[in-house]
Amino acid sequence: MEIPEQLYYTEDHEWGELEDGMMKVGITDYAQHELGDIVFVELVEVGTVVAKGDPIGTVESVKAVSEIYAPVDGEVFEVNGALTDTPELVNQDCYGEAWMVVLKVNDPAQTETLMDARAYQTYVEAEAK
Amino acid sequence: MRTPLYHEHEKLGARIVDFHGWEMPVWYTGIREEHLAVRNSAGLFDASHMGEIRVSGNESVPFLNRILTRDIPAMPKNRVLYSFFLNEQGGIIDDLTVYCVVPGESYMLCVNASNTENDLRWVVEQNREGALIEDRSAQTALIALQGPDAARIFKDYLDFDPGTLKNYTFTMLATVQYGDIMISKTGYTGAGGVEIFLPSEKAPDMWSSLVERGARPCGLGARDTLRLEMGYPLHGNDIDETTTPLEAGLSFAVDLDKPGFIGSETLRLQSEQGVSRRLRGLVLKERGVPRQGFACMKNGQKVGTVTSGSVSPVLGTGIALAYLDKSVEEKDEVEIVVRDRHLKSTVVRPPFVKGAGK
Repeated sequence: MEIPEQLYYTEDHEWGELEDGMMKVGITDYAQHELGDIVFVELVEVGTVVAKGDPIGTVESVKAVSEIYAPVDGEVFEVNGALTDTPELVNQDCYGEAWMVVLKVNDPAQTETLMDARAYQTYVEAEAK
Repeated sequence: MRTPLYHEHEKLGARIVDFHGWEMPVWYTGIREEHLAVRNSAGLFDASHMGEIRVSGNESVPFLNRILTRDIPAMPKNRVLYSFFLNEQGGIIDDLTVYCVVPGESYMLCVNASNTENDLRWVVEQNREGALIEDRSAQTALIALQGPDAARIFKDYLDFDPGTLKNYTFTMLATVQYGDIMISKTGYTGAGGVEIFLPSEKAPDMWSSLVERGARPCGLGARDTLRLEMGYPLHGNDIDETTTPLEAGLSFAVDLDKPGFIGSETLRLQSEQGVSRRLRGLVLKERGVPRQGFACMKNGQKVGTVTSGSVSPVLGTGIALAYLDKSVEEKDEVEIVVRDRHLKSTVVRPPFVKGAGK
């Protein structure tokens, strides 16, 4: 299972990449693997103001429906429209092409509430048991 | 509960889920890949959780003819028929396949795993004719080898060409490795192929041998999307004790001319008066995933409910089975309420995907 070093992680299996006050958000390799073949992705609209834990989208696999939550407070600055027509990208490249939204982050210090790669690794291993 | 193939599934790294008390593989690598393997080459399914009930003796024919919807006395040797156990109201207790092993003497019923216990109790209760009833589920494994390459793989391995069998027939095959096994030209995928009944203790060897020869292991996930693409109903979802075969569009499996089978009076009445709802196919015109329980709307009125739904791996669009009011006709547009969205769909007659044909 892939857990890139430089990213932040949530307990709901989102990842976030912080750069210049913007956070790119997606779901982790563990999450896409647990869900199985992704067949539908729906994301909130650009401009939506969200608090940490608010839904920013829905991912559906053949077997399950799963919400995606904002890792931190912010405003949705960009959404990945490509996922509407090619939801399978989430299975193929969850940390790359299948990013879901970019948030304009209110307070970069809020990343302290998130897990780093090592903590997430431990978290996932515990959950998988 | 576990099938005799449980350890094979574990070895292959399957994702195991609970299916009505059975620990079954839902997928090995992914539902879509497995689904497409069955449509394009060959897939292998463990269906050993299904129940096998042997009914035998001189009384077997009158008994089965009364509790089943098909004409049992007319069944020739080695014929397979799809049929139902019905309640007095014509509701479907279970759907099943009937195998004529020896005409007039010996029949096998293959029933749904989730219903086996209930079916057995019901069959025993109904048996006033005094037929011999034997539960053979534990000692019988069932492996389905399905897809356009299934016959070739089977022939390469056991030197018997299932292509010589007609659909809905079976044969007993004497093999060195497995003893007598039953090869049935049936399946739940619409992709062609065979179902193999064999002794439980022989099943792991058969399974791994067919995998080695190129049959792709497939889980219950692909089994469900494959059957849905063909519009085959799943008991518990699309049919149950509150729905009749006529409502479900399965009248081909009911011999209404046959006198006195359980549920026949209600069905004859329903046949004369017409049904108030019909199980129909829906194809989404927009992106989305229809699922069981979603409402169907037409002109602002609720006209039905989805009973099974998914995204078709072949079509790439959402498909569903739904009970719709009799006023709704084929080619009509119906909206499926997917959470807060109303998605447009077209009413069609399944199959959604062209099968391998008869």
